[in-house]
Amino acid sequence: MIQLTNVSKIYQNGARALVDVNLKIGKGDFVFLVGPSGAGKSTLIKLFYRDETPSRGQVIINSKNLVRMKEREVPYLRRSIGVIFQDFKLMTNKTVYENVAFALEVIGVSRKEIEIRTRTALELVGLAVKANAYSHELSGGEQQRVCVARAIINNPALLLADEPTGNLDPETAWGIMDLLHNINKRGTTIVMATHARAIVNKMQKRVIAIENGRVARDDEKGGYGYDT
Amino acid sequence: MTLNSVRYILRETLNSMKRNPWLSIASVLTVTVSLVILGFSVFFLANASNMAKSFESELEIAAFVQSDTTPEAVNALQTQLKAMPGVASVTIVTKDQALTDFGKTMGDSQSSLVADLGGTNPFTDKLTVKATDPQNVKAIAATMSTLPGIDKVRYGQGFVDQLLSFTQWLRWIGLGVVGAFSIAAIVLISINVKMNVFSRRREIQIMKLVGASNSFVRWPFLIEGMVLGLVGGALAAGIVGMGYNWITMYVQSTLTFLPVVQNQLLFQQVSVGLLLAGMAMGAIGSGFSLQKFLKS
Repeated sequence: MIQLTNVSKIYQNGARALVDVNLKIGKGDFVFLVGPSGAGKSTLIKLFYRDETPSRGQVIINSKNLVRMKEREVPYLRRSIGVIFQDFKLMTNKTVYENVAFALEVIGVSRKEIEIRTRTALELVGLAVKANAYSHELSGGEQQRVCVARAIINNPALLLADEPTGNLDPETAWGIMDLLHNINKRGTTIVMATHARAIVNKMQKRVIAIENGRVARDDEKGGYGYDT
Repeated sequence: MTLNSVRYILRETLNSMKRNPWLSIASVLTVTVSLVILGFSVFFLANASNMAKSFESELEIAAFVQSDTTPEAVNALQTQLKAMPGVASVTIVTKDQALTDFGKTMGDSQSSLVADLGGTNPFTDKLTVKATDPQNVKAIAATMSTLPGIDKVRYGQGFVDQLLSFTQWLRWIGLGVVGAFSIAAIVLISINVKMNVFSRRREIQIMKLVGASNSFVRWPFLIEGMVLGLVGGALAAGIVGMGYNWITMYVQSTLTFLPVVQNQLLFQQVSVGLLLAGMAMGAIGSGFSLQKFLKS
């Protein structure tokens, strides 16, 4: 599903975010990315949905080469990838329903189908009753679930999550994790960057630790591994 | 692009205008002001051109025939002049006719006039030549003065040169004004759209992150720009139309000697032109300001 070969990323200000990263993530895997803040986790995830391109090396997602990919092909890549953002990235002037339906509208799905799929997704995240609320009327956990619903509505093969529980209380966080776990069981590959030690330790999934832009550790069934 | 997308884009265009009513109004007014000036410039240009043309068309060359020339010889001269390249028309003013015309200006009966002048007609026969192009007047006059039988040639020498260069300038200034305001209008509307895009950059970013193509992001802005431009153009057409009507009425009642363009066709052309210009300005302005945001 994901293959990185000798990937380095140096930002224009000279910051070396990633150094010579080699990585392989299989179809249907559930992978945690851990490591200190600023270690390069977010940059790595941005490479996956081509928000960034590597300075060196190759990124292959779903057997597509993202480095050689043309600008006009990028939208099609993103339609096969769902992204859950730490800051939700919801549109404040749109309702919950509209925010979720948005991901289908941009790809030209018919109104009827949008209705059906949006309702289904909102039920899955338990927000069907709040469909007509605006995002600022929701709690953090609810907003994050809207973001999850939008990320999964296209049935993406790959789901990326950048600290999806970062702003949530433990109980709400576990709610999100249950959701991700179920989505993973349906065959979606999930890569999640996180600082949530308890979650990583409990789930017993593959853990990749990033430190100073390098892969420091890659355990098949690992724990969080940091003290704080 | 599917029908669903088209429907979405139209809905989004409308929403966007409702969301930022003040920005929309500002954009419309910008277009209106620019196009009003543009529209008046066009009428200014048309009038300058018309005025120049009417001055030019009044240019003619007067060739006075030697007093002992027979009427047959005068007719022969007319035929000869008509055959010259660049000559539009040649009319003969006989000395009798000249005397009659002169008598009319005196407001007296002609019989007594001839008597007053000592029984002889002091006028000579005259050939009035019009050139197809006023630029040729000088050359034609020079050739004519060399013809046998022609005494003197008059065409207001220095005046013609000055008039021609003046009308030429008038045209260039008109064109310059139109050009300058077109550019100013595009710059202004692109600033307006840029503000609009900037206020919605988060939304654009999210659209792109969930897989919207560039054209999908662009269309609502383009259509919005075009609609705002069209409204601005319509307002401008109304203002220019009514304003020009008022000005022509005023000019015609006070400065009657000035030739004013009152052309229904030109009116329609300017109105349609302003509408299209407004739309084009909106589209170009949106296009420019979106380019930067869509690159990332």
